[in-house]
Amino acid sequence: MARTPLPIKEHTISPEERADETRVTTHPEEELRLARPSLRDWLDLRLGWYGFVRKNLDEPMPPGVGWWQTLGNLLMTLLAFQFITGFALAMYYSASPETAYDSVKHINTEVPLGNFVRGLHVWGSTLIVMAVVAHTLRVFFWGSYKKPRELTWLVGVFIFQVILAFSFTGYLLPWDQKAYWATVVGTRIAATIPFVGDALLYLVRGGAEVGSLTLTRFYALHVMALPAALIGLMGIHLYLVRRHHIAGPVLPRRGKPVPFYPDQLFKDAVVQLVGVGFLVYLALAFKPALEAVANPTQVEFAPRPEWYFLGLYELLKIMPSGWELVATFVVPTGVTLGMIFLPWLDRSESRHPARRQWVIVTGIGIILMIGLLTLKGILETPPPHHSAPADLKATKTSDSS
Amino acid sequence: MSPGRRKMLGAIVAVINVGIVGAIVGPVMGFVTSPMNQRGKKGWVKIARIEEIPDGRATEIRYSMRTKDGYHVVDREYSIYVRRDGEQVMCIDPACTHLGCRVEYQVDRDRFLCPCHGGVFDKHGGVVSGPPPKGLIRHLVKVEGGNILLHREV
Repeated sequence: MARTPLPIKEHTISPEERADETRVTTHPEEELRLARPSLRDWLDLRLGWYGFVRKNLDEPMPPGVGWWQTLGNLLMTLLAFQFITGFALAMYYSASPETAYDSVKHINTEVPLGNFVRGLHVWGSTLIVMAVVAHTLRVFFWGSYKKPRELTWLVGVFIFQVILAFSFTGYLLPWDQKAYWATVVGTRIAATIPFVGDALLYLVRGGAEVGSLTLTRFYALHVMALPAALIGLMGIHLYLVRRHHIAGPVLPRRGKPVPFYPDQLFKDAVVQLVGVGFLVYLALAFKPALEAVANPTQVEFAPRPEWYFLGLYELLKIMPSGWELVATFVVPTGVTLGMIFLPWLDRSESRHPARRQWVIVTGIGIILMIGLLTLKGILETPPPHHSAPADLKATKTSDSS
Repeated sequence: MSPGRRKMLGAIVAVINVGIVGAIVGPVMGFVTSPMNQRGKKGWVKIARIEEIPDGRATEIRYSMRTKDGYHVVDREYSIYVRRDGEQVMCIDPACTHLGCRVEYQVDRDRFLCPCHGGVFDKHGGVVSGPPPKGLIRHLVKVEGGNILLHREV
């Protein structure tokens, strides 16, 4: 077999060098090895695996990078958990008003480990929101969104939105009272938008009322469109993070960059262990709730959203008559647009919080407002809560137990 | 390859791609957005007998109606407040005009309260306080042979 002449190289190359070098050598033993490579070498030639792994493990971390930079990795781990538990739940779940509630009840009460797997999914959603908020705040206060990382931030904001859309669409799936009424209210928010609101409501619900088509729509979004969007966005986000490297502390510190492996990877692993440990604890200690089956005729039920939407819920309460558009559209859209355009609104050269005061003050103001409203929502005694009396049956979705 | 030919082929590829995207996006958009153009026709539905409704207050009435909910036909239960003052009958929709929660009728105060965001409506459904932008929806209603008939989407 004809061979291309090999360039002269004096020494045998180490596995590390092999990663980046074209595998050519004149050393007879080495040549023999390359002619009959190990599985690892065989794969490496085709996948470029060593190079990929080394590039990522040797990713330079600026001095001062530490525990705060572990949140993205934690978020990714939690999302992976969500993906796997969601896949498992989908094997038992049935997206129809006639069967959804019973299928979730079946998962809760009959499927082995059903409570645990659903618990991981339910609590996972809460931890993900906490992790994404913490990660976003870290980037915000460190000013890491500045040039050349504007697009990394932008994609991150979209990921944030996708995560919220996941929670909103997932909430309906158990088809219990809480799910049903939160969706009635949540989708009605769309109807408050002038001119197109009514058409939007029909589009989101798949009809005039929250019914079977709303459920299938939300399910399709939750298990098809949103995961695809999330994976795509995460891919871009990670590519950009690697391309521009981690921003490091606000004021650059002296010292040489250290490779990602092992120090930072170790910190990541510790935080992942704590996060996953906490998730497992929550899933074991607090069984996922399932209320009475959704009942469109039941007047006595007062819906409350998940805690991370409570701020918006309270804002809706305090808005006077005729101003609801402010709470349903103006404020959420304003905050989102503010986040999207943040790298272009904040024109300061420095990443130091003291050098970009108006951004930091506005940011803290918004965070405080959301925090206070959320706290108000949490502290407020929930209105008298009635579960469905036994004689009440919902639309053909009778509770078979 | 000549620059002209290169440009020409590039343009053809672009047109083909637009066609391919259109071939999938067009039909799927039409398919997904079809509910936006569906509005039910209205008709008269019998909901109660007039003698079942106490005088001078609102009463929650549940009635069942065969409805097409997406892919299946169900006997869906609905609830509505019927208020009777002598011979006059009024049907008040229980959906709060703010964001659609079910308002609760309080007999002692003769008012409707929304448990979600605190809207309060008077006995005829007019806004008293809270965030609702307008009064509760009142449906057309008529009494025929002692039957109360409600005009609604069927």
